[in-house]
Amino acid sequence: MRSISLVFRRIAQSLLLVSTLSFGFQQANAQAPAGGAAPAASSGGGDAAAGAALFKQKCTSCHALDRQVVGPALKGINGKHSKEWLHKWIKNSQALVASGDAEAVKVFNEYNKTVMTPFPELSDADVDNILAYVEVGETAKPGGEAGAAAGTGAEGEAKKEGISNLMLGGLILIVVVALLVIVVLNRVIKTLDRIILQKQGVLPEGEVLEESTAVRFRRLAKNKKFVFFVIILLVALFGSLGWKAMWNTGVHTGYQPTQPIKYSHQLHAGTLKIDCQYCHFSAYKSKNAAIPSLNVCMNCHNYVTASDKYNGEISPEISKIYKALDYDPQTKKYGNNPKPIQWIRVHNLPDFAYFNHSQHVTVAGVRCQECHGPIQTMPEVYQYSPLTMKWCINCHRTREVNSKGNAYYDKVLKVHDQLKKGEKVTPAVLGGLECGKCHY
Amino acid sequence: MESNKKYWKGLEELQQTPEFVESSKNEFAESLPIEEVLSEAGLKTVTPRRDFLKALGFGVGAVSLAACQKAPVHKSIPYLVKPEEVTPGVPNFYASSFNGYGILVKTREGRPIKIEGNPSCVLGEGKLDAVAQASLLDLYDVAKLKGPRLKGEDNTSWDDLDKFVRAGLNQASGKQIRIISSTINGPSAKGVIADFIAKYPNTKHIQADAVSYSGIIQANQSSFGKAVVPHYYFDRADVIVSFGADFLGTWVSPLEFNRQWVKKRNMASLKNKKMSRHIQVESGLSLTGMNADARIPVRPSDENLALINLYNALGGAVPAQKLASPKAEKAIALAAKELSAAKGRALVVSGSNDVAVQTIVNGINSLLGSYGTTIDIANPSYQYSGNEADLVTFVKEANAGQIGAVFFMNSNPAYSFPNAKEFSEALSKIALKVSFADRADETASLCDAIAPSPNYLETWNDYNPVAGYYTIVQPTINPVYNTRQPEQSLLIWSDNATKNYYQYVKATWEKNILPQAGLTWRQLLQKGVVALPAAAGAGAAFAGNVAGAAQTIVSASGTLNKGGEKTLQLSLYPSVALRDGNYANNAWLQELPDPVSKVTWDNYVAINPKHADELGFHEFENVVVKAGDRSIELPLLFQPGQAKGTISIALGYGRTHTGKVGNEVGRNAYPFLTFERGTFQTATSVEIERGSGRNELAQTQTHHTFEGRNVIQETSFKDYVNNPHAGSSKHGEHKDYDLWPEHKQIGHSWVMAIDLNACTGCGACVVACNVENNVPVVGKDEVRRRREMHWLRIDRYYSVQAEGRSITEEKELEDLEDDFENVTVVNQPMLCQHCDHAPCETVCPVIATMHSSDGLNHMAYNRCVGTRYCANNCPYKVRRFNWFNYWNDSRFDNYMNNEFTQLVLNPDVTTRFRGVMEKCTMCLQRIQAGRLQAKIEKRPLRDLEIQTACQQTCPTNAIIFGDANDPNSEVRKALGNERTYYVLEEINTKPGVGYQTKVRNTLEA
Repeated sequence: MRSISLVFRRIAQSLLLVSTLSFGFQQANAQAPAGGAAPAASSGGGDAAAGAALFKQKCTSCHALDRQVVGPALKGINGKHSKEWLHKWIKNSQALVASGDAEAVKVFNEYNKTVMTPFPELSDADVDNILAYVEVGETAKPGGEAGAAAGTGAEGEAKKEGISNLMLGGLILIVVVALLVIVVLNRVIKTLDRIILQKQGVLPEGEVLEESTAVRFRRLAKNKKFVFFVIILLVALFGSLGWKAMWNTGVHTGYQPTQPIKYSHQLHAGTLKIDCQYCHFSAYKSKNAAIPSLNVCMNCHNYVTASDKYNGEISPEISKIYKALDYDPQTKKYGNNPKPIQWIRVHNLPDFAYFNHSQHVTVAGVRCQECHGPIQTMPEVYQYSPLTMKWCINCHRTREVNSKGNAYYDKVLKVHDQLKKGEKVTPAVLGGLECGKCHY
Repeated sequence: MESNKKYWKGLEELQQTPEFVESSKNEFAESLPIEEVLSEAGLKTVTPRRDFLKALGFGVGAVSLAACQKAPVHKSIPYLVKPEEVTPGVPNFYASSFNGYGILVKTREGRPIKIEGNPSCVLGEGKLDAVAQASLLDLYDVAKLKGPRLKGEDNTSWDDLDKFVRAGLNQASGKQIRIISSTINGPSAKGVIADFIAKYPNTKHIQADAVSYSGIIQANQSSFGKAVVPHYYFDRADVIVSFGADFLGTWVSPLEFNRQWVKKRNMASLKNKKMSRHIQVESGLSLTGMNADARIPVRPSDENLALINLYNALGGAVPAQKLASPKAEKAIALAAKELSAAKGRALVVSGSNDVAVQTIVNGINSLLGSYGTTIDIANPSYQYSGNEADLVTFVKEANAGQIGAVFFMNSNPAYSFPNAKEFSEALSKIALKVSFADRADETASLCDAIAPSPNYLETWNDYNPVAGYYTIVQPTINPVYNTRQPEQSLLIWSDNATKNYYQYVKATWEKNILPQAGLTWRQLLQKGVVALPAAAGAGAAFAGNVAGAAQTIVSASGTLNKGGEKTLQLSLYPSVALRDGNYANNAWLQELPDPVSKVTWDNYVAINPKHADELGFHEFENVVVKAGDRSIELPLLFQPGQAKGTISIALGYGRTHTGKVGNEVGRNAYPFLTFERGTFQTATSVEIERGSGRNELAQTQTHHTFEGRNVIQETSFKDYVNNPHAGSSKHGEHKDYDLWPEHKQIGHSWVMAIDLNACTGCGACVVACNVENNVPVVGKDEVRRRREMHWLRIDRYYSVQAEGRSITEEKELEDLEDDFENVTVVNQPMLCQHCDHAPCETVCPVIATMHSSDGLNHMAYNRCVGTRYCANNCPYKVRRFNWFNYWNDSRFDNYMNNEFTQLVLNPDVTTRFRGVMEKCTMCLQRIQAGRLQAKIEKRPLRDLEIQTACQQTCPTNAIIFGDANDPNSEVRKALGNERTYYVLEEINTKPGVGYQTKVRNTLEA
């Protein structure tokens, strides 16, 4: 008995050691980003500041200061055109072109007759603010500063990630070292114990103890009750493991294939809060949620190139879109050699199961997250739900039918009320568990 | 009428042959070898312990290996730039046209997967026939050419081909050029050809149809001065007499005629106590003859003489001759009485292609005042305008070396010209031979150049099927192969100012048709059809030479019947499924059982059973049919209803260059056509002699038998008027005991009503069901083994009616002196009855078939383990077992054992795998889609919003599907009809499909 308590003590000691060590590092880790996150310097400057806000809101989808996007780079625009002309142009460029203004016609033709959105809602002061911002942007380069700030931010993030990786490596190293120390210490303690025991004369020879273990084991093996008990235990263990494994065969919860483009739902749906429907519109009217076609991506990525994060280069992931479409971001022309992107399906239902998104999303009002999990936090999508029939059925048994304001259900609910007063109307009650509702 | 009238599906059932009795005992033709295993030898076989352990070990290992499989990688490839109108998973419908019928093409993600009738079409009114339904499969036919072919060389560019043809055309300048086509009525195509002729004035356009109507056209030329096929209106006729015209099956415009014909016979008409009377005079039993109220079997020689007699009985006086059959003589006199009583509401038609016969028909219709009422000759039909005399002349000219170049457009004379050898020889004397066929067919393979045309679903075109009615063909898919429309080729070769046929079609419409219709091009593309106001249809003045015609007929009949009674007369008819043979490579049509004989995958010599007995022939025995130097060998089929002394053979079979499916299926009967008096004649006198061996036809008629249980109810119109319940066989009141709990259908209750009086047995529903539900084609061998997979079959029941009395007892049948000439027919579409107390559900050990809360019998394929108990326990015999993976098995190479043809599959329906049971689901996918649409739009479901595929296409509206819980639904009204009965009601399965008693407008005996 004494030896067992000894073993316990040793294990407890080692655990304590490891946990204190790791705790200490975590603390250090927690302090690191606090130091790293330096407050971004805010650039002040009356009109230009207001102009910057307006510029971001209204102009950035087509203009940048230092490079051509859809429209021209605005750097030095104040020098090129008169203030009055710019006012007129910004408020309604087409009217100016139509009036036959030579300058306007020239600009219009120069940019492939792309119509600039009119902004009649902007006051003269607003336009002045914007122009001021463009001006300041030129002289004081707040844009550049912002870029730099963003750059450092990105670097900081990168550093943070580096630290955390280092942390993990260090932690593992420490654990390994600690284990080694424990093993060595154990050995030392054991030897010391034996020396003490031998000195006390309790244990005449070291080998006897081990022989007796073997003998004891042999004796146990002959004990039929014990053997029976062990076998039962083993059968139960493997049985339950097997049972679980069988049930989970073909269940791919957590399946997270590597996609051809590292598209992040965390960024698009989480940070930018783009509505699911914007890209997966067909989930609302079709059985397929459908991966959006690239023209949907291009609605934004026509000008959003994230180049500020890649030292002015287009993000490698976004350029995959361009490559697939054979699109040249410089000339803004589409080539003749597009190659579709081969995404890998994350959610696979067997062919004999018919699932319709619009029934669940539009009619039943099920939120995307109920089946797809916290999609807005996933940098890469993985399968959240098991997608087993049991999982479907459980929901059909427990959820209430979303019949409010839907005249389709009026008649059937009336009859249902007559038959079963007050009972909850689940899909199961309306036949949602029948084979033919999903298998045909 | 007696309710216990004896019905039978085939002679083997009637005579209870040992083979039939044996086979009817089992649901499946071949039983499992259980007996063998249980016999002594089987039980004594020893499985060594080692073998057992090996097998066990392998099994465990294989299963665990299979279970280790990681998630399979499925690619998902979205559009690069998605077309605005496409939503993945949601079908689009495009208006187009098939041979002048307005259609809607259902496409999913850019591929056509179903064709339905366009409700605005004045000919079809949203309905389609079997051929139009099946035409979809031709788009996915792998036998088609993948690009142009020049002198047998496939690696040819269109440029090379153009150069070759231009050079040929220039060389042919001193000689004649011919464009040979079947009827072309599209204004654009006609325009292109006219432009081509303007460029090459030595060109002539010859239109010749394989199954020709030039007899009618020429007769109308001489009778009324108009060389046209008139537009018939069967819905305006109270008395219809047809002399061999199979107007419900193949004649002129069968889909339209089905629709018209039923208007005076359907539920609404019967409610008003009105029913037309239809008399059919013919030699072989046709689809139309099956549905006639009275059928007079005559020999072809008598058929035409009977017309003269009818003309005389109606007041004419031309030289006539007595008929060989006194019965027919009497019947014609009666028919004349009925016709004259219904003047202005009568219609007489003839299927003959003889000008003289059609002149008499015109005379009769003039006497009856049909012109302007049941026949509109002011607004004629343009569906057929071919003249085979031109083709005969062409062969002569070619043999004389006068032809320099020839183009074949949708025309295949090397197959369909009676003297194909003469034609081929003539062709070899022409320098430039170009075919526009989509495959290297019989004619195209004799040509120097093949400029393959795309499928009609890939093209722009138009039709003008009847005067004032135009339809547009618009592509629903990009051309899959490197093909080019014939019209486009002609534009290029004639250096037309319009380079593009699409522009040409658009210009033609915008110039000639759209201004009159007040539509824009875009509106047209949405609508698909344009009906302009009809020209005033005055009664035409008849100026035909009836006496001369009668003279001709009498002498022609004499020639046909030159040996008297003993002469065997052959009549040729186009097959209901394959028509003139153009659709021979379509597996859906090949496996569609013939509406009359229920034979698949073959043509045959139909002969009267008694007549065959007298001649000493057995069924399915090969016989050689001879006429002069022409002969073919085909199996005999005993066909009740066939006039004695006649045989019938279907055209459209025996193709040799059409593809894997249609090659060498049956024999070509075109050589028996004779060119006499300016037209091809379908009747000729022949001799038959014993051939070699036997060819068991794949005939489905007795495959799913009710073993003599009474499933048909029938009454006469007279009895029906007196008592609408007439014909129902009630078994007396008795208490019902239920084994099953009652099903409460709280939401919908899906039921179906089928009107036996409206069903003509045309088979459109069968093909529509195959297309919609991915029902596999199994091929001839498997059909012989009773393994056809059709979810919906049409049971055709004969009953004998002799001397005006119907035969009720089996005893009577035995001593029946009748010669199987006078049979009456009832067609019963049979599909899963979705019983409330379904016997199949009770016996399924794995609960794979279940009852739903809306009254359907569901079938979960992935749960089925294939015990086939359900099929054995189904009293209606509607369950089908998958013996193979038909859609992906090299043994079924003529179906869809390739990725291209598989594109035709409906993505909303599972393709069933080997070893599971399947059956009609009432188009569950359509029900679910319809319900969802209503839910999304937050409104109650509308009646007839959900239509099953069979109901949607039924030309006679015989099938109505709907919700019995909706008090205003059509189906509830139909099932509330007095004529409604349920098949095998007495076994209390509570079927969900109700049938309406067949009503026959028989004469009082």
